[in-house]
Amino acid sequence: MHLSRHHTERIAFVVIGLAAIVTAVPIVIVVGSIFLSGVEAVSWEFLLEMPRNGMRSGGIWPAIIGTVYLVVGTGLISIPLGITSAIYLSEYARDGHWTRVIRLAIVNLAGIPSVVYGLFGLGLFVLFLELGSSIVAACLTLSIMTIPIIISTAEEALRAVPQNFRVVSVGMGATRWQTIRRVVLPQALPGILTGVILGLNRAAGETAPILFTGAAFFLPKLPNSIFDQTMALPYHLFVISTQIPEMPIQIQYGTATVLLTFVLTMNILAASVRSWQRRKRQW
Amino acid sequence: MSDNPKISINELSVSYDDGTQSLRHVCLDIPENAITALFGPSGGGKSTLLRTLNRLNDLLDVSISGEVILDNINIFDRNVDVISLRRRVGIVFAQPIPLPFSIRKNITYGLELAGERRRARLDDAVEGSLRASALWDEVKDRLNESAAALSGGQQQRLCIARVLALEPEVLLLDEPTSGLDPISTAKVEASLQILKQNYTVVIAPSSIQQTARIADFAVFMLQGELVEWGRSEDLFSSPREKQTEDYITGRFG
Repeated sequence: MHLSRHHTERIAFVVIGLAAIVTAVPIVIVVGSIFLSGVEAVSWEFLLEMPRNGMRSGGIWPAIIGTVYLVVGTGLISIPLGITSAIYLSEYARDGHWTRVIRLAIVNLAGIPSVVYGLFGLGLFVLFLELGSSIVAACLTLSIMTIPIIISTAEEALRAVPQNFRVVSVGMGATRWQTIRRVVLPQALPGILTGVILGLNRAAGETAPILFTGAAFFLPKLPNSIFDQTMALPYHLFVISTQIPEMPIQIQYGTATVLLTFVLTMNILAASVRSWQRRKRQW
Repeated sequence: MSDNPKISINELSVSYDDGTQSLRHVCLDIPENAITALFGPSGGGKSTLLRTLNRLNDLLDVSISGEVILDNINIFDRNVDVISLRRRVGIVFAQPIPLPFSIRKNITYGLELAGERRRARLDDAVEGSLRASALWDEVKDRLNESAAALSGGQQQRLCIARVLALEPEVLLLDEPTSGLDPISTAKVEASLQILKQNYTVVIAPSSIQQTARIADFAVFMLQGELVEWGRSEDLFSSPREKQTEDYITGRFG
């Protein structure tokens, strides 16, 4: 049978459309079923109370606050380092051997499995630097994972700023740094923020890097200093899902709902920053 | 030509690091309070020469030999402060490139870089420079709007204004009217005639006709070499070199 061009076009359209739907379906099912089953478990008590009875009842407050600590700490380390590195690569470094090595390292770091970061953090921060299993060791480990994400998105955002702005600014008597601070950075800021949010988002959701470096199975009280261990949402979810017998399923779904909400909110934030950027841009 | 040139260029050669030679042994005196126009076919080195005069080529990989003497100082000397050189020698590009700020901020930007914070002083500079570039009446009611919303001709006059606000001694203009309609072009040309009373103006005009209209001194450049220069009326009425004559009579170009 000979198909007309019109029919081929229709079939291609249907196949391609189906493929797009197939990729979206699992996400909708996963997120939807977790939210549906978990939303009834979520209440103020669930969010703000300590776990009780071997974590089989009570709330998940220490895990939530622990994840906030980890994200904030990771941000404090990786945002300045990531952005300054991106500025160096985009604005100061000349293309050469040295920058090629740095870029290669960044690309490769982004592809490393997260458990390897965990083991590396255990070796370097926990044992060698004797920080112990602690918030600070976990944040340092998470930072190694997020810094490449921040560097590559921030560098891309900086490079997207038209070269002519730099020439004009320097032509008006600006130093290179004045040009970066007053012209290039403000224009690149939305793109940089997107990268920062995506990087920190990954830090919020990962279990493996903090497993050996700072996450606690259970703590009866909140951490007192950055050298204490902390509970954290993703690890807590792993623990209550696999490590504790007779765990009420509502608590598992509830915890998953809270973690998903956290991560989805950050993603939506990143998306709105991107659309704000498109509206604001003048080039 | 003039007894005391503002800029004196001596055996200036510029080549890019990919090997292309852009200027060859250029010697030229640029007098004060006059319009000196560089003209010739594209690729002649006009842009390179302009960008060398405030060392904007430093941003690229170039090698430079020879000297450019500005008020008795060679601008390539190691102890010359490039930043203040660029404030003294302002440049306007062919493409109007307003910075992504408001109209007002585009003009105050250069002054703020230099540390000027007094509001009244900045306001004076905004009004003065916009009047000098014949833009004030069109934008005085919307100074805080984005400069990107201006028309091409207005943007170019804004770009001239923001350089004027720095009160440079020398004004470099690289085909400042290439993208403009005839009315805007006439406005820019008229403002140049006023500006030359206070500034040394070096321009690469968009056309040979524009050169004839506005230049006090004309410089004919061909493939990186300076063929001939002199008073505009002399050069156009009785060129000394055959190449110059062929170009201005339209035999090539």
